[in-house]
This record gives sequence, C-alpha cells and structure tokens, in this order.
Amino acid sequence: MTMLELGYVSFPVLLLMIFLRAPIGLAMLLCGIGGLYFAMGGAHMFLAKLKSETYTTFSSYSLTIIPMFLLMGQFATLSGMSSALFKAAESWLGHRKGGVAMSAVGACAGFGAICGSSLATAATMSRVALPELRSYGYSGGFSTATLAAGGTLGILIPPSVILVIYAILTEQNIAKLFLAAFVPGILAAIGYIITISIYVRKYPDAAGTREAVPYSERIRALIDVWPVLLVFGLVVGGIYLGWFTPTEGAAVGAAGTGVIALVSGNLSWKVFVESIIATATSTAMIFFIVLGAGLYNSFLALSQVPQELSSWVVGLGLSPWAVLALILAFYLVFGCLMDSLSMILLTIPIFFPVISALDFGMSPEHVAIWFGILVLIVVEVGLITPPVGMNLFIINAMDPGTRMVDTYKAVMWFVTSDIVRVIILVLFPTITLFLIPG
Amino acid sequence: MLKLVERVARLMAVIGGLVLTLLVILTCVSVLGRGLNTLGHSALLQSISEAAANALLATGAGPVTGDFELVEAGVAFAIFSFLPICQLYGSHATVDIFTNALSQKVNKYIVAFWEIVLTAAILLITARLYAGMESKMAYGETTFLLQFPVWWAYAASLVAAVVASLIGVYCTFARIAEAVTGRKFMPYGGEAVH
Repeated sequence: MTMLELGYVSFPVLLLMIFLRAPIGLAMLLCGIGGLYFAMGGAHMFLAKLKSETYTTFSSYSLTIIPMFLLMGQFATLSGMSSALFKAAESWLGHRKGGVAMSAVGACAGFGAICGSSLATAATMSRVALPELRSYGYSGGFSTATLAAGGTLGILIPPSVILVIYAILTEQNIAKLFLAAFVPGILAAIGYIITISIYVRKYPDAAGTREAVPYSERIRALIDVWPVLLVFGLVVGGIYLGWFTPTEGAAVGAAGTGVIALVSGNLSWKVFVESIIATATSTAMIFFIVLGAGLYNSFLALSQVPQELSSWVVGLGLSPWAVLALILAFYLVFGCLMDSLSMILLTIPIFFPVISALDFGMSPEHVAIWFGILVLIVVEVGLITPPVGMNLFIINAMDPGTRMVDTYKAVMWFVTSDIVRVIILVLFPTITLFLIPG
Repeated sequence: MLKLVERVARLMAVIGGLVLTLLVILTCVSVLGRGLNTLGHSALLQSISEAAANALLATGAGPVTGDFELVEAGVAFAIFSFLPICQLYGSHATVDIFTNALSQKVNKYIVAFWEIVLTAAILLITARLYAGMESKMAYGETTFLLQFPVWWAYAASLVAAVVASLIGVYCTFARIAEAVTGRKFMPYGGEAVH
C-alpha cells in the first residue's frame, strides 16, 4: 500500500473506532501510531515521536490558555454573575411578550463573555433562569430550548476555547479571531430574540406575562453587572491591544473571576475543589484529544492526503462557494454526532488547505478568519440539534417535568435561526470581517 | 479499593489544580510588574513627575523572569495530574449513539475493551516520557532564561504519569470486573448516560 492509500484507509478505520465508542482521542492516537508504523515499516518513528510529543503538547505555551480559560469558566459559574446578568436583562426585557425568555438569551450572551464553554453557560444559566421561566408560565419545552440555544452563545462570544484551537491549527491570530466572533455572536443573540418573539406570537400559550419594572430599578440592575464588563473588557481588550498574550489574558480572566467568586462568598475550599475537579476532567479530555489529533495529523501530513485532497477539489473546478456550502453542510450533519472540539481537530487539517486553495476574492487571512467563524457556528448548531445535541440533554435533565420531545420541537426554531444566520454570514463576509484590517 | 483510588485521583487533580492556580497568580504578577515597569518608563509619568517614575522603577517592578517557562512546565505537570481523574470518572469524549442500540451487557464489554487500550496507551506514553527524560538528562538541556534542566520538568510530569498509569490499571481491571460480574467498581457507569 502506498502512503497515500494508507492515509485514505485511515479515515474509515478511525470513524469505525469512534462509532464503536472508542474515546475519540484514543482512536486518533491509535490511527496515528498505526499509520506511522505501516508507513515506516516499523515502530521506530512513532516511538521516537512519543518521546517528546506528549510533553511538548501538554506544555505548549499557546495551549496553556485552555486550562486557564476552563478555570475562568468554573469561577464564573460560582461568581453569582449569572443571576446578576439575568436580573439586569429581565428588568429591561421581562415585561415584553416572551420577555423572560429573551432575558435568558441576553444573560447567556453576557455570561458567554466571561465563559468560553457552551455546556457551562447552558448549565449555569439554567440554574438561574429555568425556575423563573417556569414560574412566569413559560412552557417546559420552550424554556429548555431557549436555554439550550442560549448556551451556544457561551462559545460564540469570545473568549472561546474552540477558537483558540482553530487559531493554533491554522496559525491565525487569536485576538483577531476573538474580535471577528464578536459581531456574529451578538447577531446570534438578536436572532434568538427575534425567534422568541415569533414563537410566542405563534404559540401565545407558551409564555406568560410579567410586570414592567421602574427605570430606577433597571439602572440599578444594570450597574450590578459591571464586574462582567470589567473582566471581559480586560481580557479581550487586553489581548487585542497587545497588553498581554492570550495566555496571560486567560490568567488575568481566571484571577478576575476567581476574585469575584471569592468576594461573593461562594468560593469555599470545598467548592474550590469541585471546580478544580471539573476543570481537571475537561482539561484532560481536551488535551488527550489534542495529543491524539497531533499524532494522527502528523501521519496524515506524511501521507500527503491533505495536499492531494485539496488539489483534487480545486481540480474539480467547482465554484468555491459550492465547496464551502458542502463543507458547512458536512459539519452540520457530523456536528450532531461528535463533540465540536474533536470535529475541529479532525477536520480542519484536511478542510483548511482546501478552503485556502480556493479564491473567494479576499486576502488569505480574511478567508481563514471568516471560515473559522462559520465553522464555529455550524459546529455549535450540532450542540442543539436533535436527537443528540449535548446542550439539550444537559438542560432537559435539569427540568425533569419536560418531555425531551417538547424540547426537540421548540429547539428546531432556534436551529432554523442559526441556519439563517450562517447563510447571511456566508453571503456577507463583511459582517464578520469589517473589524479586522486587511 | 475504589475509595482509595478515587482519593488518590482527586488528590492528584487538586495538586495539579493548585499548581495551575499558582501559575495564574504568577502570570498576573508578571503582567502587573511589566505594566508598572512600562508605566515607569513612559513619557507621560516621566513628564508629570520624574521622581515618582524613578521611585516606581527603583522598586524593581518588572515582569517575572522566565515566567512562561514555569507556566509551560507547570501546565504540563497539571495536565498529567488531571489524567487519572478523567479516566476514573469516564470523562474522555466518546460517541455512543450507535452502540446504544446494543444491549447494556455488550456495552459494558465494549467499554472494558477500550479501557484496556486506553490504559495501554497511557502506559506507553509514560514509558516514552521516561525515555524522553533520559535523553534530556544525557544532553543536559536547560531552559533558555531560568537555566533549569529540562529533565526536571519531565520528571515532575513523569511522577504524575506514573500515578495515571497505576490508576489506569485499576480502571482496566474494574471495567473488566464490571463487565463480567455486573457489579459496580467504578464511580460512574459504563452505560450511556449524558
């Protein structure tokens, strides 16, 4: 078998292992090791690689940002900021038709600014908003769907762990990617709010009403969220202005949210240990996947599959837009099966050369950033797509009275809003890129 | 037995977490020091009060030398320390919608099988880390700024990796026992629960 053939054969083997419930990182590691073994006709290559690869991956300075952002997210969930954000959003929006649901989305967007994970945002905001939604007469399925969708804002609005990985894989500037994600993130929140207002007009029974609050109280509630603005401004602004590296930014963010959590009195030693355990399991999971993907990708690079594939696609003479549409559709489908991080690590080394080889009439950097944001969004849609979207499970489990089917039905509205947004962002790249100089 | 293993895994995670927290603090101190140093050198402060600027610089405020070398070595150690708890709690990402079609019993055997492979991989990684450390020792490689031998960082990680291997071996036997006897030997089940 030639190396190229080996490379192609490795895909179905990898997928088979993953679908047979192998830990994803392990499956990639095995394919990498196996590929290097057969390609080299012996074990010397992967044995030599493993001598330093694990340590180098785990100690990579650009990746150290990940445990720090995860710790920041854990502290953020303890900071009490979720309820302050929800209160502020509710005081401004709560009295509108479907207003409490809109407030939940708004609060999720705010929380996303200090938390880089979708699941954490969904879970934290649900603890605060779900009881409120239910007590104001919002239907179960509508409430859970709103929060599942709102949770995805955690990863769209920077900081975002997935964007960090994308930036490293494609050698792009993290600060610029964060900046580019900002407007699409806000658009997502607006899209969800519009979706809610359409939904409650179609199903008036799904939402109750709530009294308006006087302006003095609204202003006070708004002032209470200043720590969120401070931390977000410091982290994202500081990284962008070059005050510090992204890793330093993440450290500042973790310290900032940690101090807020301490001041709010929620951070006892016991709670601290639990947040460390949660950080530990996600960090280890992510780095194991990164390690496996690193090995697998070095085998793929050796086999020349990415280059061959991209020149084959270019040779087909398809319109770049058709190729992009196909890739995004692929992500939509597979995003329903696999977690977003594994998807990105597995596919970007293959798809990115393809996209880079096509001409979209933009600078290579712009294409890279724009593609990254699009991929981020479609992969996140997978988190709320029935039947296996992770956010749906997490939130549905928090509201035992609601049937999964009801969540499924209501969440399709939000999925539609996501797809509309992706189409808009594909057609008008400027929306993503206008903040990024040329 | 499970109690002891869980305690060790949690202890490792907490040690790693404390190292991570210290690195967060170290990085913030370094950022702050660099900020103050820049401020002391800035034309603005120099023009307002040269004395104040010089006093600020005289305090020796500046970035921590080699902070990122400590961050790299420390985070590597932390991640190795996080591996045991991740395996014990079954937190490695998997796709289980297809295997869910199969019976509980079959799933338990599948889980046990991958646990064996996972532990084998962790043992391999640990053994290669040891080999890596040996060659760093042989070449006497040191870091650029702090000049500490690179093998120290490898050694710290190796300690954590050895613990990860031991706990991996426990997990393997526990999963096999779970599959064969149907009793529980792990904190969280091999069934599909999200």
